[in-house]
Amino acid sequence: MAEDRQPADIVEGATSGDVEDEVQPTAKSAEDRKAAAALSKLDSRGDDEGAAREVDQEAVKNAMSALGGGADKKDIKVVKVDAADVKLLVEELELPKPKATDLLKAHDGDAVKAMRAYLQPDV
Amino acid sequence: MPQTLSTREANLFRTVIRHYEDKQYKRGLKAAEQILKKNPKHGDTMSMKALILNAQGKTEEAFSLAKDALTIDMKSYICWHVYGILYRTNKNFDEAIKAYKFALKLEPDSHQIQRDLAVLQVQMRDYPGYIQSRFVMLKARPQLRQNWTALAIAYHLDGNLQKAENILSTYEKSVTATPLRTDFENSEALLYKNSIIAEMGDFEQALEHLEAECKGCLDRLAVMELRARYLTELGRKEDAAKAYRALLDRNSEHPDYYKGLVGVLDIAADDEGALKAVYDEYAAKNPRCDAAKRLPLDFLSGDGFRAAAKAYLTLMFDKGVPSTFANLKHLYSDTFKKETLPVLAEEYLKEHSGDSTTDGHANGDSSKGEGAALYFLGQHYNYFMSRDLSKATEFVEKAIELDPKNVDFHMTKARIFKHQGEIAKAAEAMDHARSLDTRDRYINSKAAKYQLRNDENEKALTTMGLFTRAETVGGPLVDLTDMQCIWFLTEDGEAWQRRGDFGLALKRYHTIFNIFDIWQEDQFDFHSFSLRKGQIRAYIDLVRWEDQLREHPFYFRAALDAVNLYLSMHDKPQNGANGVEGSHANGDDAAAEKKKAAKKARKEAQKAEREAAEKAAKQDPNKGGAQKSKDGEEMKKKDDDPNGVKLAATADPLGDAMKFLLHLLQFSPKNIEGQIAGFEVFIRRNKYLLALRCLKASLALDKDHPKVPEQATRLRKALEGAMGSLAPKVKEVIESELAAVPGA
Amino acid sequence: MDIRLLRSSDIPLIQHANLENLPENYFLKYYLYHALSWPQLSYVAVDVSRPPKTPYDYPKIVGYVLAKMEEEPADGVQHGHITSLSVMRTHRRLGIAEKLMRQSQQAMVETFGGHYVSLHVRVSNKAAIHLYRDTLGFKTEKTESKYYADGEDAFCMKLELDFIREQLREEEDEGKDKKKKALKEGEEGEGEDVDEGEAVGDVGRDPAKGSKADQKIKVKVGRGLGVGELIEKDESKH
Repeated sequence: MAEDRQPADIVEGATSGDVEDEVQPTAKSAEDRKAAAALSKLDSRGDDEGAAREVDQEAVKNAMSALGGGADKKDIKVVKVDAADVKLLVEELELPKPKATDLLKAHDGDAVKAMRAYLQPDV
Repeated sequence: MPQTLSTREANLFRTVIRHYEDKQYKRGLKAAEQILKKNPKHGDTMSMKALILNAQGKTEEAFSLAKDALTIDMKSYICWHVYGILYRTNKNFDEAIKAYKFALKLEPDSHQIQRDLAVLQVQMRDYPGYIQSRFVMLKARPQLRQNWTALAIAYHLDGNLQKAENILSTYEKSVTATPLRTDFENSEALLYKNSIIAEMGDFEQALEHLEAECKGCLDRLAVMELRARYLTELGRKEDAAKAYRALLDRNSEHPDYYKGLVGVLDIAADDEGALKAVYDEYAAKNPRCDAAKRLPLDFLSGDGFRAAAKAYLTLMFDKGVPSTFANLKHLYSDTFKKETLPVLAEEYLKEHSGDSTTDGHANGDSSKGEGAALYFLGQHYNYFMSRDLSKATEFVEKAIELDPKNVDFHMTKARIFKHQGEIAKAAEAMDHARSLDTRDRYINSKAAKYQLRNDENEKALTTMGLFTRAETVGGPLVDLTDMQCIWFLTEDGEAWQRRGDFGLALKRYHTIFNIFDIWQEDQFDFHSFSLRKGQIRAYIDLVRWEDQLREHPFYFRAALDAVNLYLSMHDKPQNGANGVEGSHANGDDAAAEKKKAAKKARKEAQKAEREAAEKAAKQDPNKGGAQKSKDGEEMKKKDDDPNGVKLAATADPLGDAMKFLLHLLQFSPKNIEGQIAGFEVFIRRNKYLLALRCLKASLALDKDHPKVPEQATRLRKALEGAMGSLAPKVKEVIESELAAVPGA
Repeated sequence: MDIRLLRSSDIPLIQHANLENLPENYFLKYYLYHALSWPQLSYVAVDVSRPPKTPYDYPKIVGYVLAKMEEEPADGVQHGHITSLSVMRTHRRLGIAEKLMRQSQQAMVETFGGHYVSLHVRVSNKAAIHLYRDTLGFKTEKTESKYYADGEDAFCMKLELDFIREQLREEEDEGKDKKKKALKEGEEGEGEDVDEGEAVGDVGRDPAKGSKADQKIKVKVGRGLGVGELIEKDESKH
């Protein structure tokens, strides 16, 4: 019923990491291009200073320290895995090595248990 | 040893970067070469040159140059960063991540590299890595709200809801000024936080937060819907009912709202009158509302149903609504309803017969009134639960008599032919329907589909070509591929397969596979875009959908087709390439004939291809039509196997099938067709554990499926011979697991 | 039929509907761009009466409206735009297109402060033009020559959305009146005749509520000014 043309610049898949590069109307003249370039610069700098929201710097600092060190280390049980078992699982179940290792670890390194578990339908 | 640049060249180096950023590749290249003339071993310049070459589509050259740059200057973060970018643009995200990490080690403060790395991590679903990256980015710029939001998202996606909420709250507490009501980012962030609270299952708190903080949020519908949901969860029925009523006032065509309302009204499930009254209120309020009149048909029974159905059908027939049957056929699971509806339609017909020929209320539009009732009955008898094809034909013919130029009527006629197994007649009838409205792409699409079902690939493509872009180089097929027209590619592939042209069939299935790759990659740009736009809930929705992307029936169908085709190629190896040539010695005349025809068809396709290529070559490369070639912009990659000859010539069809099969089993494990195909592939590859796994899944899904005992027997038989050569642990697994599978 | 907001998971079948129905088609990514920039604006009509065939069925889309806000409006006025609207020919005459449009228009004003909505329509598409002009009240702004790939001209049509703003303002005022009344009486308002979009809930409970109402007045002024806030880039131009 109502329809538009798709902008010529839009590219499928991953590009520069920003769709706006595509969907913004393209600059026609050199003059426009300059302006567009300036705009895009503004934009990336906007990352730093653009949104000058009033934030209490002190509070931010406190909040940051309260956050601690980023990603938490999850407790990982130490399970010894036999390399031959990993190889067996890679061969028989066609799993990538890390996945085979994880599967074994999850079953205390018992290859039979691991394989049996893998065979169960998840219904 | 890396060389150092003079001031003049250092300036030149900066212009290289600027030209690259402005996509002025030729100029950038010129400047880079100027530097390299004097400093042939300047790693950073070599890398920048590689980057430009890559942007121009010269991938191999770019990679080799970037590697050279790295050997010269291992300690340059620019070289590593460029190396990462090359991998990224060539879709090798794992390698790109590694390169970025090296670059970051050398230049820990580079915001740019950190950001690039973070995007790749979330794309690859490395959530712990993403959390780490976003944490560093937040630390560098805590004054930016999006950095807080991003870290919350990282925790959220990693499943740590509490942490996600804490981070959002921490930021909120550090803001001193009250945000404007029109601050969209703020409004969305509040709703995002609210959705996290609800996801934790704490509806009490979610409601409290919603009412205290989100009243002014710009997404009003979301606030109203969430409120209704929370109130329901908390058992505050009276308030919930009000909330649902408000929603219904906004949109009375959304069945969930009725369901929500009825759910909190304490009406006995069998009190049909009271239930219907709820809907009647909205039918009266919104005379043009369909849902309020139609939905009661789902729960009404007996005379109540009859009366309501009669009123509904009368209204629909009077208006000539073509989807009336489609909107009611789900009722057919109830025998009484299935039998009542056609009786009512016949009654209507009796009352109105002749209306359209005299001056009846249908105002000369014969798709209304009598025509609509005939159309309904035609569809009724064509439907698989109430099928009587001769009756269906009778009604449709009557409808056509009344209105010979009605597209819908002719469309149903074609469908009846299809169900009669008259595929050629069906295609013809659908094409006739198409000819009645040549400006409508819908009927054009249907005509092409029916031509494909009749194995008329060439004709179908011509039909499709009536609506594809004429300017697309390469013709309709290229346009349909560009536009990701999955249905056509699937039907076209299946038709080629029936015609014995395995090459073209595989080509289509692989094209569909690639489109799904593109769709998965499409999310890439949104990881940073959405943060800037602030539409976080929509972004989370996207990420979760992308995680399940390949469970889509579009993928399943094409992938299953491909697996089954590869299976048959394995079982009956073809001598010639493309599965078409050769093997005439088999003596199967029909098959030979088929192959001959396919060969001819392919020659035609090749000819068209050649012509398209010539046409493309004639175009001035500087003024390319569809692909506006900016200075050196990447030209479309040429397909070196347009007819799938190489695909069909595979020496390892089972190995090729795995590419499709793995996704089938991973994303649609509950679809028994995939499990059955999986078994067939694995048993041929002697992967007994995996075959058993598929069999067990099939068994769990439908133990009565005829394939299940058959496959069980075959597995046992295969194992009889193979047991001796199996590893003891595998043997142990099989013995205990197979015992649980019924059958001899 | 179910008319509801578009979700990401709907997009393959929206694209499918578009490819079946209309000559102008888009990459999936272009749909995503809409869904992730203005998720409040795009709606779908879903055929809910199809019995599921597999555990992985996706709802069949029989109609959709794909809408956006103009990123950098040439006239500097914040407004919405219909990128694509279509209803399967098998599902016409139920008013689906109109219902989709009304939902989208409402959100354009509520969420993004849109002043009007614009669209392109083929000059030959009489049924669509009838819907826009006669049912929804659009006016033809101009004709764009050879707008479409096949060479057809487009009408550029436009509908002022003042009436929705007006409505919202009234509701807001009503809400406030109701609130005052409720405060006076110390009990909840009647709620029956008033839209619940604003001012819902147990109003009387919080003495701070009074100041909240005052805030709302400020907000209203803010809204008039605030439209510009949403288009930062634009401010640099005008």
